[in-house]
Amino acid sequence: MHFILLVFGLLAASWGISQENFTLSGYVTDGRDGETVIGAKVYIPSIRKGAITNNYGFYSLTVPQGEYTVEFRVTGLETETKDIILDKDIRLDVEVGSNLQEINEVIVSAKAEENVKSTQMGQMELDIDEIKTLPAFMGEVDIIKTVQLLPGVSSAAEGGQGFYVRGGGPDQNLVLLDEAVVYNASHLFGFFSVFNADAVKSVNLIKGGMPANFGGRMSSVLEVNMNEGNKKKFGLKGGLGAISSRLTLEGPINKGRGSFIASARRTYIDVIMKAAIPETSPFSGSSYYFYDFNLKANYKLGDRDKIFLSGYYGQDEFVFASVEDDFAVEMPWGNGIGALRWNHIFNSKLFMNVTATYSNYLFKFGSEQDQFKFEVRSGIADLGGKVDFTYFPNTLHKVKWGAHYTFHTFTPIGVSAESDTVVFDTGIAQQLFSHETAIYALDEFDLNENIRFNVGLRYSTFSHVGPFTRYEKGDISTPDTSYYFPKGELIQTYHGLEPRFSSRWMLKDRSSIKAGWTYNYQYVHLTSLSAVSLPTDIWYPTTSKAKPQKGWQASIGYFKNFRENMFESSLELYYKDMRNLIEYKEGALPGDNVNDNNDNLLTFGRGWSYGAELFIKKRYGKLTGWIGYTWSKTERKFDDLNKGEVFPAKYDRRHDLSVVLSYKLNERWVFSSAFIYATGNTLTLPSSWYVQDQDLLFNYGARNSTRMAPYHRLDISATWYSKEYKEKEDPETGETIQVKKKMRSNWAFSVYNVYNRANPYFLYVDSDGDFVSGNFDISIKQVTLFPIIPSVTWNFEF
Amino acid sequence: MERILYILFLSVILVGCTKEVDIEIPGFEEQLVIDGRIEPGLPPVILLTKSQEIFATSDINAFMNSFVTGATITVSNGTDVVVLDEICTGSLPPGVDSIAAQLLGIPVDSLTNYNICAYTTLNTDVWGEVGKTYDLTVDYDGVSYTAQTQIVQPTSLDAVFWKPEDGYVTQGFSWVTLSDPPNQFDAYYWEVRRLNGADSDPMFEETYSPVFDDEFFDGLSFDFWYENPFTGDSEYPDSVRWHYALGDTVVIRFSKLDRDVYEFFEKKHMQLQTEGNPFATPTNIPTNIKGGALGIWAGFSPSYDTLICLP
Repeated sequence: MHFILLVFGLLAASWGISQENFTLSGYVTDGRDGETVIGAKVYIPSIRKGAITNNYGFYSLTVPQGEYTVEFRVTGLETETKDIILDKDIRLDVEVGSNLQEINEVIVSAKAEENVKSTQMGQMELDIDEIKTLPAFMGEVDIIKTVQLLPGVSSAAEGGQGFYVRGGGPDQNLVLLDEAVVYNASHLFGFFSVFNADAVKSVNLIKGGMPANFGGRMSSVLEVNMNEGNKKKFGLKGGLGAISSRLTLEGPINKGRGSFIASARRTYIDVIMKAAIPETSPFSGSSYYFYDFNLKANYKLGDRDKIFLSGYYGQDEFVFASVEDDFAVEMPWGNGIGALRWNHIFNSKLFMNVTATYSNYLFKFGSEQDQFKFEVRSGIADLGGKVDFTYFPNTLHKVKWGAHYTFHTFTPIGVSAESDTVVFDTGIAQQLFSHETAIYALDEFDLNENIRFNVGLRYSTFSHVGPFTRYEKGDISTPDTSYYFPKGELIQTYHGLEPRFSSRWMLKDRSSIKAGWTYNYQYVHLTSLSAVSLPTDIWYPTTSKAKPQKGWQASIGYFKNFRENMFESSLELYYKDMRNLIEYKEGALPGDNVNDNNDNLLTFGRGWSYGAELFIKKRYGKLTGWIGYTWSKTERKFDDLNKGEVFPAKYDRRHDLSVVLSYKLNERWVFSSAFIYATGNTLTLPSSWYVQDQDLLFNYGARNSTRMAPYHRLDISATWYSKEYKEKEDPETGETIQVKKKMRSNWAFSVYNVYNRANPYFLYVDSDGDFVSGNFDISIKQVTLFPIIPSVTWNFEF
Repeated sequence: MERILYILFLSVILVGCTKEVDIEIPGFEEQLVIDGRIEPGLPPVILLTKSQEIFATSDINAFMNSFVTGATITVSNGTDVVVLDEICTGSLPPGVDSIAAQLLGIPVDSLTNYNICAYTTLNTDVWGEVGKTYDLTVDYDGVSYTAQTQIVQPTSLDAVFWKPEDGYVTQGFSWVTLSDPPNQFDAYYWEVRRLNGADSDPMFEETYSPVFDDEFFDGLSFDFWYENPFTGDSEYPDSVRWHYALGDTVVIRFSKLDRDVYEFFEKKHMQLQTEGNPFATPTNIPTNIKGGALGIWAGFSPSYDTLICLP
C-alpha cells in the first residue's frame, strides 16, 4: 500500500512538469456515417507522441508549442492529416475517411502496435465486420461465440452462452451494454447471444489486468458498445435467416446534430416447430421464440455536451405442452436495459461522462394442470448511476477517477400456487435490497520511453438492507426461527480496497514485456445448478451468510509484432486465486424460498487457476485470422463438497485451441473457417448404487471426477457480396461511370460442424429393465446436440 | 424447480441424439446401507446391505447377495434398550414378514425364495408408539453407526372421495380433504393398496411423488387428489392410466414423518425424477444416520382410510 501511495505522489509531482504546453483535443468521427470512432489513433510523427480516442471518440493530446502535422488513423479508412500551429489549446473535431473511399487491406490498422505498447494485458478487441464474416451457427452472427474463440476464454457446453475466463465462473464476467450491466446475455438457454450484431459497434474483452474503473466482477469485462446511428443519411439494413430475421433503421436527427438507430430481431422457431410437430404428437402446442429490440439515440447539445440514450429489451418465450397429461408450462424470460449518458468536456484536458442505468432480468415459470396453478419468478433489477472523469495533463499521463453507485433488488425466487379456490400461502415474494458503491482513481503514465505503468486503486462497499427476514432451519429437536429486519435497516456491510497495477516495458526489438497484478471484490453471485447457463440460474447478493467473492490475479506476458505489424503475437502466463466462491450444497435444489433463504442452501470455498495463453494473429492481407491456444488448470476446494478434497472445476480444461481463418478472394467473396479443440468438460456421475424400499438409488462419487470426450468441431462459411457499384452512362459526357448502388446485399452460407462430430453435451446414467425380474441394466448415455447444420442468410443494406 | 429442470431435460432429449458410451467413473467406495423402519404397534425392522459399484451386475440376485449379517443392532426408546435379533427368511414372525416384504418389494409369500436376513425383535418394549423417539445403533465391522427418528402424531384425513374425471364416467382419481395442523412442521407420505377381491394389490405402493410438506398450506383445509400408481405404466391405455375405476376399494395409508425422514424421502424422489438430468445438481440422498452409512432410520405414523370409488 505504501508503494501505491508513493507512486501516486510521484505522479502528482510529475503532472506539473508541463511548460509551454498546449492541448489538441476533440472528437474523431467516421466520414462514412458520422459515428464517433472508439480507439482512433491521433499521432504526431515528428515528436512520436500520440493519443487514442476513448469510448466516446474523444481524444486529448498535450504537447509543447509548435507546428505539427497530425495524423488521424482509423482502421480501414484512409489516414486524415492536418497541419496545425499549436500556440494555444485547440479543439479539432476530425472526420476520417470523408471522401467515402474505403481503403483496402494494405492500409495499416490504427491500432497497430497498440497491443505491444499499451499497459493493458489480456485485452482483446473484436472487429464487428470480421465477426460478421465468420461461420455463424444457424446463420445467427454471435458476438459471444466469437469471444469464446479467444485464448483464455472457454464456453460452457456445446452452443453454450456462458463463458469462462481464466478459470472464473460465468458470473465473474462483467457484461456491459453501453455501460449498463447485462445479467443474462443469452437467448434459448444459451445458444444465441442477446447482442444483435447489426446494432453493435465495438466489442472489447478484458480478461486480466482489469483497470480500476471497472469492478464488481472477478474475472473479466466484456464491453459492448452499440452503434450510434448514421448522422449523414437514413439507412435501412437487415437480414433474412434460417431461423430469424433482423431489421435496422438509422438516420440523422436535426441535420446531423444527433442520430438514432433502432434494431429489431425475431426468431421463427415457433413457426418451424408448429410445422414439425404434428397435431397428434403428445407435445403439440409446444413452441419457442425470442425477440429483441435495440434503440440508441444521441444528440449534440453544444460543443461541449452530448447526450446518449440506449435501450435494450429482449424476451424469450418457451411453451411446453403435454396433451397427454393435460399439462402446459410457459416460461418467459428476458432483460430490459436502459442507459442515459451525458458527455461533458470541461476543457481540452478534462472529460466527464455521467451515466444513469437501469437493468432488469426476470424469469418466470407458470404451469397449469387440472385445477392446480403454479408460478415461479426470479430476477434482479438494478438502478445505478456513475460519474467518470478522464484527465489528460500531458502526453505522459492519462488519469481517470470516478464514483459508481447501484441499488440492487434481488428476487431469488417467488412462488404463487392455488388449487381450485384455495390459494396456498406462499408468503410475499422474498426480495433482497442492497447498495453497492465504488470510488476509484487510476493513472496510466510513462516513466520513460520504454516503461509505462497503469496504477489504480478502487474502494468498494456493499450493504444489505431491510426489509428482510432471516430464517434459520431447525432440526429434529430445534424449531425453525426467523428474524425480521425492517425497511432500510442495515443488515450487513462489506467493503474493501482493490489495488490494480499493470506495467509495460518496451524492448529494443519493438517487442514488450508486460506484468500486472489486480485485486477484485465481487458482491453479486450467480447460483447455478448445472454446467450449462440457464435462465433458472439465480442471482443472489452478498448477505450475512454469503460473503463477497474476492481474489487476485497475477499475469506476465511477452508481446511482439512481426512484418510491419502484419502479425501480432503474445504469450501470457497467469495465476488467479479466488475466495468465497459459491456452490449449492450437495443435493440442494433451490425450492420455493418460503420460510427459507436461498443462502441457507449455499456453501463456500476457494478456487485457483493458472495457465498459459498463446495468441498469433494475422491482421491484414488476403488471409487474416488467428490461432489461440490455452493450457490451463482450474481447481476448487470446498469444506462441504467432495469431502473437503480438491476437485477440478466443471470447466477445467487442459487444452483449448481455436484456429480462425478468413480469406478474401476478391471484392465479392470471403471464405472463413473456425476450428475448435478443447479437453472434455468434467462432470459428476454416480459411482455406486444401492437399494432402499425397492428403489434403486445412486450415490455419486468424487465431484467432477469423470471427464467427457474432447470437443472438436470445424465450421466453414462463404460470404458473397453483391456489386457495390453499377455502370452508368454520364448524361453530360456520355462516358461510362461507376455509380454506387442504392442497395447492397450479401449471402452468407455457413456449415456448422462440417465433419459431423458427435460432441458430448452431457452424459447420464440410464437404467433399463425391471430390477426384481432380473433383466436390469445400467449404462452411460451421451447426448449430442448439433450434427452438421448448413444455413444461409441474406443480408441487405440501403 | 424439479419440474422446470425436468422439462428442460425432456426438451434437450427430444432435440438431441443419444448414444451409449464407455467411460470410467472413479471414486467407488463400498458403504453400509441401513434401511430401517418403525411404526406404531409394530417392531423395528432393519435390513443391512452394501452399496455396489455402478457397473456391477445390478439385478435382484446381486442385491440379495449384498445382505449383511453379523451386525449388532440396538434400538432404544429413551428408556428401554433392546438388542435386535437377526432373523432370516423362513423364520420371520407374522407381521415382521410383511414389513420385510414391503421394504424389499417382494410379495410376502415369495420371501422364502430368498435368503434374506432382517434385524428385528419380539420384545414389545421398543415396538413403535406415537410420540416416542427411537435411537438406533448399528455396530458392524468395527464401525458404529447411529440414528434417531420420531413417530410423530398422525393426522387423519377429513374425508376421502372419488369422482370421475372430466369426459369419463367410470374412471377418476382419489380425492381427499386435509386439514393441516397449524403452526408446526408437517410432512406426509402417501401409499395405497386396492382391495378388489382376487385382484387385490399384493402390498402398499407409493404414488409418483408420494412425499410433501406443509410449507405452502400450514394450517389450511383443502381438497387434493392423487393418482393410482398401479395403473401408471405406459402399457395401460390413456382411458384407465393413473385412474381408479368405479367400484374400486382403495386403502390409503397416509403417514406423517419427522423432518429428517421427510428430507430423505424428498431427496430420494428428487433423485428418481432428475436422474441423469444435466441441469440438476447431482443429488446424493441425505441420511439421518451418522457414521458414514447410506439409507434411513424412518419413523412412520400412519392413519388409514378406505375409499370406495363410487360417485
